[in-house]
Amino acid sequence: MEPGDAARPGSGRATGAPPPRLLLLPLLPLLLGWGLRVAAAAAAAASASSSGAAAEDSSAMEELATEKEAEESHRQDSVSLLTFILLLTLTILTIWLFKHRRVRFLHETGLAMIYGLIVGVILRYGTPATSGRDKSLSCTQEDRAFSTLLVNVSGKFFEYTLKGEISPGKINSVEQNDMLRKVTFDPEVFFNILLPPIIFHAGYSLKKRHFFRNLGSILAYAFLGTAVSCFIIGNLMYGVVKLMKIMGQLSDKFYYTDCLFFGAIISATDPVTVLAIFNELHADVDLYALLFGESVLNDAVAIVLSSSIVAYQPAGLNTHAFDAAAFFKSVGIFLGIFSGSFTMGAVTGVVTALVTKFTKLHCFPLLETALFFLMSWSTFLLAEACGFTGVVAVLFCGITQAHYTYNNLSVESRSRTKQLFEVLHFLAENFIFSYMGLALFTFQKHVFSPIFIIGAFVAIFLGRAAHIYPLSFFLNLGRRHKIGWNFQHMMMFSGLRGAMAFALAIRDTASYARQMMFTTTLLIVFFTVWIIGGGTTPMLSWLNIRVGVDPDQDPPPNNDSFQVLQGDGPDSARGNRTKQESAWIFRLWYSFDHNYLKPILTHSGPPLTTTLPAWCGLLARCLTSPQVYDNQEPLREEDSDFILTEGDLTLTYGDSTVTANGSSSSHTASTSLEGSRRMKSSSEEVLERDLGMGDQKVSSRGTRLVFPLEDNA
Amino acid sequence: MERQSRVMSEKDEYQFQHQGAVELLVFNFLLILTILTIWLFKNHRFRFLHETGGAMVYGLIMGLILRYATAPTDIESGTVYDCVKLTFSPSTLLVNITDQVYEYKYKREISQHNINPHQGNAILEKMTFDPEIFFNVLLPPIIFHAGYSLKKRHFFQNLGSILTYAFLGTAISCIVIGLIMYGFVKAMIHAGQLKNGDFHFTDCLFFGSLMSATDPVTVLAIFHELHVDPDLYTLLFGESVLNDAVAIVLTYSISIYSPKENPNAFDAAAFFQSVGNFLGIFAGSFAMGSAYAIITALLTKFTKLCEFPMLETGLFFLLSWSAFLSAEAAGLTGIVAVLFCGVTQAHYTYNNLSSDSKIRTKQLFEFMNFLAENVIFCYMGLALFTFQNHIFNALFILGAFLAIFVARACNIYPLSFLLNLGRKQKIPWNFQHMMMFSGLRGAIAFALAIRNTESQPKQMMFTTTLLLVFFTVWVFGGGTTPMLTWLQIRVGVDLDENLKEDPSSQHQEANNLDKNMTKAESARLFRMWYSFDH
Repeated sequence: MEPGDAARPGSGRATGAPPPRLLLLPLLPLLLGWGLRVAAAAAAAASASSSGAAAEDSSAMEELATEKEAEESHRQDSVSLLTFILLLTLTILTIWLFKHRRVRFLHETGLAMIYGLIVGVILRYGTPATSGRDKSLSCTQEDRAFSTLLVNVSGKFFEYTLKGEISPGKINSVEQNDMLRKVTFDPEVFFNILLPPIIFHAGYSLKKRHFFRNLGSILAYAFLGTAVSCFIIGNLMYGVVKLMKIMGQLSDKFYYTDCLFFGAIISATDPVTVLAIFNELHADVDLYALLFGESVLNDAVAIVLSSSIVAYQPAGLNTHAFDAAAFFKSVGIFLGIFSGSFTMGAVTGVVTALVTKFTKLHCFPLLETALFFLMSWSTFLLAEACGFTGVVAVLFCGITQAHYTYNNLSVESRSRTKQLFEVLHFLAENFIFSYMGLALFTFQKHVFSPIFIIGAFVAIFLGRAAHIYPLSFFLNLGRRHKIGWNFQHMMMFSGLRGAMAFALAIRDTASYARQMMFTTTLLIVFFTVWIIGGGTTPMLSWLNIRVGVDPDQDPPPNNDSFQVLQGDGPDSARGNRTKQESAWIFRLWYSFDHNYLKPILTHSGPPLTTTLPAWCGLLARCLTSPQVYDNQEPLREEDSDFILTEGDLTLTYGDSTVTANGSSSSHTASTSLEGSRRMKSSSEEVLERDLGMGDQKVSSRGTRLVFPLEDNA
Repeated sequence: MERQSRVMSEKDEYQFQHQGAVELLVFNFLLILTILTIWLFKNHRFRFLHETGGAMVYGLIMGLILRYATAPTDIESGTVYDCVKLTFSPSTLLVNITDQVYEYKYKREISQHNINPHQGNAILEKMTFDPEIFFNVLLPPIIFHAGYSLKKRHFFQNLGSILTYAFLGTAISCIVIGLIMYGFVKAMIHAGQLKNGDFHFTDCLFFGSLMSATDPVTVLAIFHELHVDPDLYTLLFGESVLNDAVAIVLTYSISIYSPKENPNAFDAAAFFQSVGNFLGIFAGSFAMGSAYAIITALLTKFTKLCEFPMLETGLFFLLSWSAFLSAEAAGLTGIVAVLFCGVTQAHYTYNNLSSDSKIRTKQLFEFMNFLAENVIFCYMGLALFTFQNHIFNALFILGAFLAIFVARACNIYPLSFLLNLGRKQKIPWNFQHMMMFSGLRGAIAFALAIRNTESQPKQMMFTTTLLLVFFTVWVFGGGTTPMLTWLQIRVGVDLDENLKEDPSSQHQEANNLDKNMTKAESARLFRMWYSFDH
């Protein structure tokens, strides 16, 4: 009655596969039940007789064989891992060659995919397809699976652990080729091992002042944009699916929720290739920040969105109709998971900051690095254990760590943590991309449907367009420093798909619809990484995007407020101010962050004793670290140095003087570091400027600008 | 109905993963605590407790809590199901439970008497790792780091003595411990504590070989901090590193010693086969490790990879890891391969790396070593309470304590005497006492013992090993500083000053040659190797 027990009694070890390690066991119909004796299925008994009789004489030998098999399986695991590692080694060497020759049309991730493809072809067609696995069944009256299983085999007890569920239709096609089976990883590996370092690294390297300057736009692109793109892609794909149904090309069910799910997973953009080129060519920093910020937050939104679409389960019989209650429940889940993960990540980041602040751990960089690593990892685990999304939590943890903890670390730990996560990120990313290449051939359940694939390509471009242009239009209404047309085109162009879309798609490949989605996602990733990634350099020059902006020439990041004024001249200064006026929430947050959070959590910022009201002076003194007072001098030095070099910006100063008092906090808003401390003494500044305008004596201004800090509040 | 059951099983699976996260979280939490405590200790310059000791203490406390404070939830397991049709165990099992097919993977064999305790506490069950994790994940970075930091000219100066201690010494210690333990086992059988025929001589030898792996991390950390005499440091460190490799291979060859007829009688053919195995595996792993390191050295030499430190670090890491994997795939011992890979990398590749990569690789492996080591020690503490099949046997434990001291003495004193005959720069008595004292047991002994805990003798060994590790790490590790002053060993030798004297390797070599001349006369083989190498 069960499909699997047919198997093949004849293909025992006698005839076995050529290499002994691929030696397969004869089929094993086996019966299990916990607490219940169940009669053997008739079919099972029948097919068992042949193998059973043969095996009885040599049961000792067979035990040995099992032991050996376990050993063999370990050996094969090693071989498959070795394959990947050699692939990565090759990738590294080739990339070195490319970088050395300054070839930019192929990024390392693209290369990793190519090597993965080649090995996939070899594995697919070069290894002998060994015969089917033993299929064994038993039915019991138990209605659930256990995580461990004890089986009594002729007096010996064996322990089995649950590996996964197999959809009933697939029993017969459970992997035939042993080697292919070995190189197929459990999809959860991506979520639990490979993605966290990538995402954490992204969050950790977000500490760019340009990111915070464009925060509003980035958030708009990430949240609204992802939602828009998800819906548009979902709807377009639904049309395509309907079309396929009419043409009779659909062999299984494909619901509207499936389309939306596809929209959600494919909305996760991952322009690593483009960003790497931008970084190398020093393309416009604002564009870089917009793209990078969008892609990072975007991933988080897409993960949560896809899991809440999966959770959408209307009550009643028709499980795929629209149901308002279920819909709102999904929205609730989205908000709950997102805010939960956000809180979790931020809280652990804050705890780490406090721990590193109040202990003198920085005398021992190794301990500090280890603590940092463990705390960040705990975030992931904690979020997973509480049912939130670990990857999202890790992202926000990374941002918080960069914003606060980073300032408390010793110099050595800073470089250590950066380098550690850089290496982890590099390895994990290339691993995923080479696995993608491999998966195109080794994954066994591909469903290629040309119409669906073409539809998906059209949909992602339309989705991207419908997301970038209208949102940019609305944002430009509010922004003074407009997002130019060439920037918009470039952002439209950079809609690459990468690791996140792949990981989301491979997570569940049980149903027909999901398999089709997986195949399509894989092809989209290939296409976008190779073609679009390769076309970045020509595109940049075609769109006349400023290249070679040297971020090092900009003043050091802790002088943000001035950087704004200096970098783009008076025009942008005005632009920023008006923008910030509209974004008063951000402004409030910044001043709060700067005046209270930074001093509480880190060694930098103004001493709390000055920012907090007098009545909590005791508390403030407890929380202020002694270094803050020590830091006063050097910081001021830096400021004065800075001003010396910025002497030629009189015009700019004049411009801001007009509203100096009003804008003092708005400058604060645009800063993320100590630089703004200076701005707070803006009344002095006005005075200073009046004096300074007169004589243009830069040096004297520079020194005189150094005023003792005063309470801003 | 179908959907409901599906949801349920999904929930079950969710529970399953969620549990995994919680376990890891417990370990993370323990490690964070350890780090903070250690910082406190280091800050106040307490030297009596090393971080590994601290990790064990926290592990113990956590184990105690888990054992006695959690409600003993039964794993839902009633009777073990008998499978009539199944005559041996397949590697994968498909189980059909009300139309859902689940795949089960073969985990291990469980012996008869272990089945009942198996149905104990679900949480304790969860907190137990697969022992192979130690060999495949945690030990390689530790061992590689040890090999990678061996690049000390003192190591090569004392190479002869170190090899003698590591090879001959381990063999002696294995045999002595085995013999003493066999005596105790016989006594136990007389006393009626053990059934005759359970505990064979090969088991005793097995115990001897796993107990021979010394791991004086605590002592070495203190030496390092106090700048103890570099010769002593190198002798101890080199011995402990190579020792591990020898012990691992020795344990493996003893466990596959299986004479034809009577499985535990002496059989010359099987014995020589075991010896052959030992040599083969050792040489194979050595060759594999060195080969990978040489490939790395050549690659880093002939490409200009040093322009991109990140790529270089990545390559270095990947190739060192592939040494481990290829050795495992070829049926050799990955850990030994990784050790020699580390030594060779330090000797050759290290010179080709950019200065940025030198720091990066050092820091990366230092970090991994730190984490892995503390995880293992933490787990040891935990295992004392969470491991469910402990067999405490007072006589055996007593015997083991006695045996390791006697064996350590038999290893150090006679060998030192013999070596002193050939060495110009003698190993003085106080060094010998210190080496005798530093016979701590650690991660390797534990990992070897936990690998197989099926039969009763193996469980007894595991329990004993655990107790020995605790005792040696806490008592000996804590007693190092007093011992050093008592034995009047030179402290505060500034290594950096020595190193500065000979900055270039050329110079250093010349210097060494001077100093080595007399010593090297006896060690012609090594001298030849040096000139070839140089």
